Amino acid sequence: ENREEMLSSKSNRLTEALEEANKLFEKVCRAREAALDAQFLVLASNLGKEKANELHSEMTSFDSATFAEDLLTLMGINRIEAEENDSEPGGFLPRDAWQKVGEEALKYFRRAPTFHYMLGSFKSDPPVAKQRIERQKKASRGEAKQIMPAQLKKMEESHEEATEKEVERILGILQTLFENDPDTPISFFDFVIDPNSFARTVENMFHVSFLIRDGLAELRLDDDKLPVIEPTKSRKVGEENRGPGARKQVVMSLTQEEWK
Amino acid sequence: ELVQFLLVKDQKKIPIKRADMLKNVIREYRDAYMEIVSQAGRILQETFGLQLVEIDPKLHSYILISSLPCAEANHPCRAKEKEKMGLLIVILSFIFMKGNAVKDSALWEFLRWLRVHPGEQHEIFGDVQKLVTEEFVRQKYLKITPIPLMDPPQFSYQWGPRAAQETSKEDILNFVAKVQGKNPKFWTSQHNEATA
Repeated sequence: ENREEMLSSKSNRLTEALEEANKLFEKVCRAREAALDAQFLVLASNLGKEKANELHSEMTSFDSATFAEDLLTLMGINRIEAEENDSEPGGFLPRDAWQKVGEEALKYFRRAPTFHYMLGSFKSDPPVAKQRIERQKKASRGEAKQIMPAQLKKMEESHEEATEKEVERILGILQTLFENDPDTPISFFDFVIDPNSFARTVENMFHVSFLIRDGLAELRLDDDKLPVIEPTKSRKVGEENRGPGARKQVVMSLTQEEWK
Repeated sequence: ELVQFLLVKDQKKIPIKRADMLKNVIREYRDAYMEIVSQAGRILQETFGLQLVEIDPKLHSYILISSLPCAEANHPCRAKEKEKMGLLIVILSFIFMKGNAVKDSALWEFLRWLRVHPGEQHEIFGDVQKLVTEEFVRQKYLKITPIPLMDPPQFSYQWGPRAAQETSKEDILNFVAKVQGKNPKFWTSQHNEATA
């Protein structure tokens, strides 16, 4: 009944109850009473176990208040005297408060670094070839086929085509820009960066990478060591992939901060 | 290919399901699944120093962790990530030091001292309650279970399987010790538990 009271570490109620039970037991002469006594013992021992657990956590002397104080110190809290209209009593937390904790925290984790944008495509098949196959499949769709595969194929096609179309569109833009000014290659960053959208910028870089991979555009460094891009001047077929425009792999990283 | 898939999927730190791997990458090579996965694991280990760990044997989901010992400061890491890790380590520390499980009321009461409040938008964390109870849980850093027979319902917060993989009780105790400028042995029972 008086569970909470018994659990409180300051209380000796449990001990008192046990002592009382002991005294009573001496007077017992019937089996029924002994059974009751046994029942009581079970209850008492359960309570005892819980009480011991509570005691355990008190004895480990971990004080969360002090921990919090020390964390605030780590964060660089400015413990100035509270002013009249101060909304935060006790001090002012700097902007990088949590970054400071995070910096320390990383030392204690074996976290896989998050992979940021990588230049390059995940598809191993050249998009051009695949599209041809899909066009053929489209033509033969008149034949009897199961509904499911046809639907799935359709979804994949639109995904493929969307990328393909974007790439073509960008090639078109590049060529147009270049027509107007044939001798000046365009600054790569001017070409891909969308001042209003980081995501769009990344997408642009992704599409440009297709052009480069397929040999339709070239990227090189100009005199200022800045990357510039230009469409490849028409060469004999077959030379594109193996010519002096040797293919190199470049990994470009662009963080949101850098983009800003 | 699987390697690239895993690296990109890992960005959000949500465990990667085997079903996704099969559907998106392995596809027709289903039968060689085990071979492919272990091959990918080898490449991840040797080239990137990353370990592919099966975090849920029933659902067959995996996470990537670093197999290199924790390097010193200056991890290449975005500010947002650092801030979240800061909050996370504070929560994990609190849970461990308090005996490996805490009631939600106790945790949020503690976080209040650090100017983090469940109902409010936090300047840095935004919807902090969502971050803790949803994102951290989905990433398997925390495990939140309802306490039976409680009305109004209360929850127990514990370490999740990813936390157990990426860090250890000993590491967290060392963090607490560092913050408080004390020797980890100061907390005897936690120290015993951590070094058992």
